[in-house]
Amino acid sequence: MAEVEETIKRIQSQKGVQGIIIVNAEGIPIKSTLDNSSTVQYAGNVHQLLMKARGMVRDIDPQNDLTFLRVRSKKNEIMIAPDKDYFLIVVQNPTE
Amino acid sequence: MRVVNLACSLPPVPCVTPPAAPSRTLQWDTDPSVLQLQADSELGRRTHRLGPSKITQVDFLPREVVSYCKETQTPLAAHQSEDEEEEEEVTEQKAGPENDLQEEEESKDTKEGHPRELTEEEKQQVLHSEEFLIFFDRSIRVMERALAEDSNIFFDYSGRDLEEKEGDLQGGSSLSLNRLFYDEHWSKHRVITCLDWSPQLYHPLLCSLSLSHLSPVSTLLSSYFQYPELLVASYNNNEDAPHEPDGVALVWNMKFKKTTPEYIYHCQSPVVSVGFARFHPNLLVGGTYSGQIVLWDNRSHRRTPVQRTPLSAAAHTHPVYCVNVVGTQNANNLITVSTDGRMCSWNLDMLSQPQESMELVYNKSKPVAVTGMAFPTGDVNNYIVGSEEGTVYTASRHGSKAGICEMFEGHQGPVTGISCHSAVGPVDFSHLFVTSSFDWTVKLWSTKQNKPLYSFEDNADYVYDVMWSPVHPSLFAAVDGMGRLDLWNLNNDTEVPTASVTIEGAPALNRVRWAAGGKEVAVGDSEGRVWIYDVGELAVPHSEDWAHFGHTLMEIRANHGDGEEEGPVELAT
Repeated sequence: MAEVEETIKRIQSQKGVQGIIIVNAEGIPIKSTLDNSSTVQYAGNVHQLLMKARGMVRDIDPQNDLTFLRVRSKKNEIMIAPDKDYFLIVVQNPTE
Repeated sequence: MRVVNLACSLPPVPCVTPPAAPSRTLQWDTDPSVLQLQADSELGRRTHRLGPSKITQVDFLPREVVSYCKETQTPLAAHQSEDEEEEEEVTEQKAGPENDLQEEEESKDTKEGHPRELTEEEKQQVLHSEEFLIFFDRSIRVMERALAEDSNIFFDYSGRDLEEKEGDLQGGSSLSLNRLFYDEHWSKHRVITCLDWSPQLYHPLLCSLSLSHLSPVSTLLSSYFQYPELLVASYNNNEDAPHEPDGVALVWNMKFKKTTPEYIYHCQSPVVSVGFARFHPNLLVGGTYSGQIVLWDNRSHRRTPVQRTPLSAAAHTHPVYCVNVVGTQNANNLITVSTDGRMCSWNLDMLSQPQESMELVYNKSKPVAVTGMAFPTGDVNNYIVGSEEGTVYTASRHGSKAGICEMFEGHQGPVTGISCHSAVGPVDFSHLFVTSSFDWTVKLWSTKQNKPLYSFEDNADYVYDVMWSPVHPSLFAAVDGMGRLDLWNLNNDTEVPTASVTIEGAPALNRVRWAAGGKEVAVGDSEGRVWIYDVGELAVPHSEDWAHFGHTLMEIRANHGDGEEEGPVELAT
C-alpha cells in the first residue's frame, strides 16, 4: 500500500537515518532504500546475526524470545526489529 | 549378544510325552538336535548319554535407547555445512584438486547463503499481504520510538563544553511550552475541533490488561487507561485536499519524543467531538458533523471506524458536539447531544439504535440548539448544556423532571464551552461551573442560582473554550480567538488572569484541555496544531486553597450583591 511507501520515506528523511531494509524470514530483502550490493550485504549479515542472537536467547531460556537488537558501532547504529516472518533493519547515525 | 543353547540329556519338561505312547509326536521345539535327543530318549530312556550338541547362534540387536535433546534454533544451512565439513574430514585426502573444488563450492554456497532472489512481482505481493502490514505497523512504531530517543550513551562530559540548556523558565508560576504536535499530512489545514486526554482511573481493577500472546508492543498500548500520556485530537476537514477523508482523529503520545501520531483514524464526515471511552479501554468515540457517532478500536489495524450509528431520524441528523461516557464500569452509557436538541443515550456494545432519546425543549417551545454539555462530578443524571442563543440550561436524564429543568441567562452570544468544577477536596464546590461564549466573557455560575456569580471580562475576542483544573479548586484555563491562553486563579485575582501566554503566530485557539494530573494543558488551534504547555507551581493545589476559595466565593457573592435574583431551586441530585 502507499502507506508503507510513505512511512518508509518519512523515516528515511529523519535526521541521521542512512537506510531502511525489510527482509523476509529467509534473509531475502524485500524493500530497501540502499543500493543493491549494500542491501544484500546487510541482509545476509543481519540475518545470520539475528539467528545467532535468537538462538542464544532461546538457549538460555527456552520460553524467551528476541524482541529487538541494536548494534552500536563507531560510525553508526543498526537497529533490527525481528518478527516471525520478516524483519526490519534501520541504519542510522545517532550523533548527527 | 550371543546366546548359546546347550541342551542336556535330560528331557525338557514341557515337551515330554508319556513314554508309553508308541508314536513319537513332534513337539513345538523344532530344533533338530532336541528332536534327536527326544528320539534317543524314547528308545533308550534309561541310558543317559552326553553328546555334543549343536550350538545356535542368535544375534540380538542392541536395545535402542531413545533420547530427546533440547532443540536449538540453528539454521539448516549451517547444519549442512557442518555435515559437509565432517564428511570432508572423514574422507581424508582424496585427489587434491577434487577436494579443493568441493570445498570451494560448499564455501560459496554457505557464503552466498540465499542465491535466490525474489522477483518484483513476488516482492509486491509480499508488500501487500495482510501479515506483512501487521508486522510493518508494529515494527515501525517501535523503530520510530527508538529513533527518537537520541540518548548518546557515549557522551563524555570531561572533554566537551556543555551548552547550558535555557528552557522557558519564567519563574515557577508561569506557562512554558513543552511540545507541539503536528503532522504534515493529517494536521495541515485542518482545524482542531476537540481534544481529550486519556482518563486516569484510580482503580487498577478496572484496567483490563491484554493477554500475553500478543506481541510486546500491542500489549503496551491495547489499554489506554494506564497511560495518561495519550491525547486524542479530532480535526475538521481539509478544504485543500478534497480527496482525503473529511474527518480525522489522531492519538498523540507525550511520553516518547517521536513527532508522529501514535494512531491515525479517519472517517467520512468531519469529526467535531471526540473522547476516550472511559470504561472501554480500547475504544475512541467520535461525534461527526453528519450526526453519526463513530467508534474506533485500536486493536484492529483499520484506520476507519469499527462501528457507526445509523443516519436515521431515530439517532442524530445534526452535528454532535458533545459525546460523553458516564456511569460506572458495569453500568455505563454514551450520552450524545446534537445541535437540534436531541439527546441520545447509547450502549457502546450496540450502536445500531439508541437506548433512549429525548428532545431537549425548554418550556415546551422550540428545542435547544446545544453547543456544549457537561456533567458535574459524580453525577450521572443531571447535566448542563449550553446553547447557541447564549442561554445555559440544566437538564436531567431520568426522573419526573426528565429533560430541561432550569434556564440560566447571562451570555449574549453562543456558549462555546462549559466546564463543571472537578477538583475534589475538603470542601465541595461541585455546584460551580464556568462557561465561555462569543460575547468575549467567561462567566462563573452556581447551579443554585440562575444568574451568573461573576463575569470575567479580560478578553478581546471570542472565548472558545474554558476548563476547570482537575486538581486545583480555584484554577481554570481559557482560550480565545487571538491566540491567548489564560490561566485564572480566583484565589489570587478575579480581575485578570494569573498567567497568560500568547501562542506563537496568534492563531485562533479552539480547545483547551487539562491533563488528568493537572500539570499540563493541551491547546488546539485553528491551524491543526496541538500545543502542550507545562504549568508549574501554579497548578499545584495546597490544602488551604479550598478554604480560601470558599472565602473568595463569599466575597464574590457579596460584591455582586445588587441585582441578584435568588434562583428558585436546588437541583435534585
